[in-house]
Parts: sequence; structure tokens; C-alpha cells
Amino acid sequence: MTPIQQQVKNWLEEKRVDIFLAYRILDGHPLPHAFTREHIEETAELVTGPARYSLEKFATHIASRYPAARIGMVARDCNQRALNVLRVWNQLKDGQVETVPVTCCPSHLHHHADCSYLEPHPAGAVKQQLGQAPNQSLAEVEAQPAAERLDRWLYEFQKCIKCYGCRNICPVCFCKECSLEHAELIGTGHLPPDIPIFHLVRAVHMAGRCVDCGLCEDACPAEIPLRLLYRKVNAIVKDLFDYETGSGDTLPPFSILGDKPTMSPMPLLAAAQE
Amino acid sequence: MDLKFVPSICSYCGTGCGVLFEVLDGELVGTLPMKTHPVNQGKLCIKGWNLHEHINSPLRLKHPLLKTFGRFTKVDWGKAVDVTAHRLKEVIAAHGPDSVGVLVSAKMTNEENYLAQKFARAVIGTNNVDHCARL
Ligand code: SF4
Ligand code: SF4
Ligand code: SF4
Repeated sequence: MTPIQQQVKNWLEEKRVDIFLAYRILDGHPLPHAFTREHIEETAELVTGPARYSLEKFATHIASRYPAARIGMVARDCNQRALNVLRVWNQLKDGQVETVPVTCCPSHLHHHADCSYLEPHPAGAVKQQLGQAPNQSLAEVEAQPAAERLDRWLYEFQKCIKCYGCRNICPVCFCKECSLEHAELIGTGHLPPDIPIFHLVRAVHMAGRCVDCGLCEDACPAEIPLRLLYRKVNAIVKDLFDYETGSGDTLPPFSILGDKPTMSPMPLLAAAQE
Repeated sequence: MDLKFVPSICSYCGTGCGVLFEVLDGELVGTLPMKTHPVNQGKLCIKGWNLHEHINSPLRLKHPLLKTFGRFTKVDWGKAVDVTAHRLKEVIAAHGPDSVGVLVSAKMTNEENYLAQKFARAVIGTNNVDHCARL
């Protein structure tokens, strides 16, 4: 048994957790798996990768049906950031989820990272010419002349097949009613969806929420560099409110429950506005 | 608390994307793309993403229904097959085998589709066979 397998077995036996989310290989595919006391022998098959699914999203599904459940899971950095956001947004209770951290070091000596930033796919010739390559820094994108930048983003957006995969796979998208399905905001019944509004509505909703895990970008059949777009949104949140999304420290600046904004703009900015 | 992840193949079209069903306490609650599946490599179209919805739909047909005098009544399979065979024979006798068309589906297995075309060609005697996966 590997140390992690032993640790998970102990956690289940000691009733430290009721269910543990990790992976096992089934028919050659690394798939998420829920380990339990009833099938404790399965912990010998536990692996931590190489594929990456949003285990924390499954945790919220368990928690909404079993509010008292104690849930364990293996967590890369991105999983941990998503857990922080889900806790801040009351989708998981404090201390409800215990994690076993796993690393995703980009070294080729380390087993497969499965992350669009650690293992970037090179942009093809057409994308280089017309589109927006996914693995650029924000500075590189912003160095493009504004008109060209707009053209490139519009080229990306018009490829959208409106599969809603970006929303469905996102660990921090949990709203019961989604603006992307709101007929008055976004026209229905045609492809591509209204652009750029479809993508910008989602981008705005990711402000203070997106943990830069890249699952949306991985799931996008049209290979739209969504992660890059949301990075920009959260760079603005950082600039204006000094809020670090995913840190889980406080409620994000955009929570509108109550009668006051939860955060003031950065003091320097406030001074500049006076 | 029983959470299972069941790999399967999307049955909506001929592409055959790999999906992963999220099953909580025996209830299908979600569909995900299988990230390592060679066909779709972690991506799905909108139909695949919503596979679980029709399975749980209250509108789903679970019994054969027979329409008599404009109203549907529940019948057993034996009766449904008898009535269908009888009516098909009547139609073929009156209008010929090419008055019948057989529509098969990506929601059936390869083998069932094979049987259906065999039924069309060898039993009814028509080449009117088509399939929704003829994309
Ligand atoms: S986002 Fe990528 S690099 Fe960061 S923790 Fe997740 S897998 Fe690792
Ligand atoms: S990177 Fe995409 S999937 Fe991940 S949190 Fe941000 S919007 Fe959601
Ligand atoms: S995953 Fe890509 S193609 Fe699908 S709705 Fe989102 S942006 Fe559009």
C-alpha cells in the first residue's frame, strides 16, 4: 500500500471521514471514485491521478443531500482553491471537507499533470493567425492593438457551440438559475449564441469566483481560451478590490446580500477618486 | 450515502463520446465527459451533457401504448407486437412493402440496428431504412 492509500484507509476506519473522493483505474481509465468503509478493500486501488476531475463539485452534491457528511478528498492546488470558494459561498460547511494534498509539479519526471497551463497544447496555424492562443500571459494579450485583440476574441467566441460545458464542469458554478439560460439576457435557438454577450456574462460572473483551474478550457469543444479570459476578470478584481479569489479569506466584493457592499475599493483608488 | 461513477458511451449520435454518469443513492444525478476517452477527450456537446435528464424524466415511456378511437391505452408487449404485426401485414398487402419505412436510432446497439435493417429488408422487403446517426 502506498502512504496515501494507507492514510485514506485509516481515515475511513477511524471514522474521520465517511466518504473519500479520489481516483482509481477502471478499464484503463483513471476515473473519480468514492471510497467508503463498506468497501474498505478498494483503498488498495486508490490513485491520485493522472486525470483531473472536479472532486469538490461531487462533494457539494453529497453535502446538499447529507449535510452532516464528513467528506475527504485528494486535492491539488486548484481543488483546494475551489473548496475555499465553495465554503465562502456556503456550498460546503467549515471543516466539512478534509483534504489530502497532492502535488502537480510540472517536471517530466512527475507523472502527467493534466492541466492546460502545465501541459499546454500549442496553438495551430489558424489559431495563431486569427485567434487567441490559450497559453499567453495577460501582458502578451494586452500588447495586441485593441482592434486586433477584439477581432481575435470575436473569432474565438463565434466558434462556440453553446454546449454549456464551461458552466457545467466549473467547480464554482452552482447557481440554481443560470443567467446563461435567461432568454431575456441571451437569445435562444441559434448558434453561435449571442456573442460576445454569452461569454462576457459568464466572465463577469466569474469575477471573485473563478479559481483558475482551467477545467472549462479543457472541456470546451471549440478550444476557446476561457481560462485566459477569466484571468483578466480576476486581475481587475485584484486591482480594484485587492481581493485574491480562491484564498477563501472573506466574501468576495460582489456579494450583494445585505444592504452594504462587503468590501471597499482599494484605499489608493478611493483617494484618487476624491 | 452511495456515490458511484459509471463510465458509458453517449447514445445520442454516431460519434460515441465517452461519458461518466454520477449516480448518488441509485439516482442518476449528472453526466460528465470522460477526460481520457480517445473519442471526445473530455468534451461533450449539449446533448451528451444532458443525458441524465431524459432517463429521469417523468414523461419517459415505460409501457407500450395502443391508440384506439383516439385514446392511448396501456397494453402488454405481446399485445403490442400482435397488433403491430397485424397492421403491418394489412398495409403491405394493400400498398406494397415500400409503403413501410423503418427508422432506427443511435440510442440502440449496433446489433439491434442490424436486426432492424434485416427485418426491413428480409421480412418486410423494403430498403426504406434510415438512422439518425447518418450525420
Ligand atoms: S491549476 Fe493546474 S497547476 Fe494549478 S494546481 Fe491545478 S493542476 Fe496544478
Ligand atoms: S477556470 Fe473555468 S472551470 Fe475553473 S473555476 Fe474558472 S471558470 Fe470555473
Ligand atoms: S464550453 Fe466552449 S463551446 Fe461550450 S458553451 Fe462554453 S465556450 Fe461555448
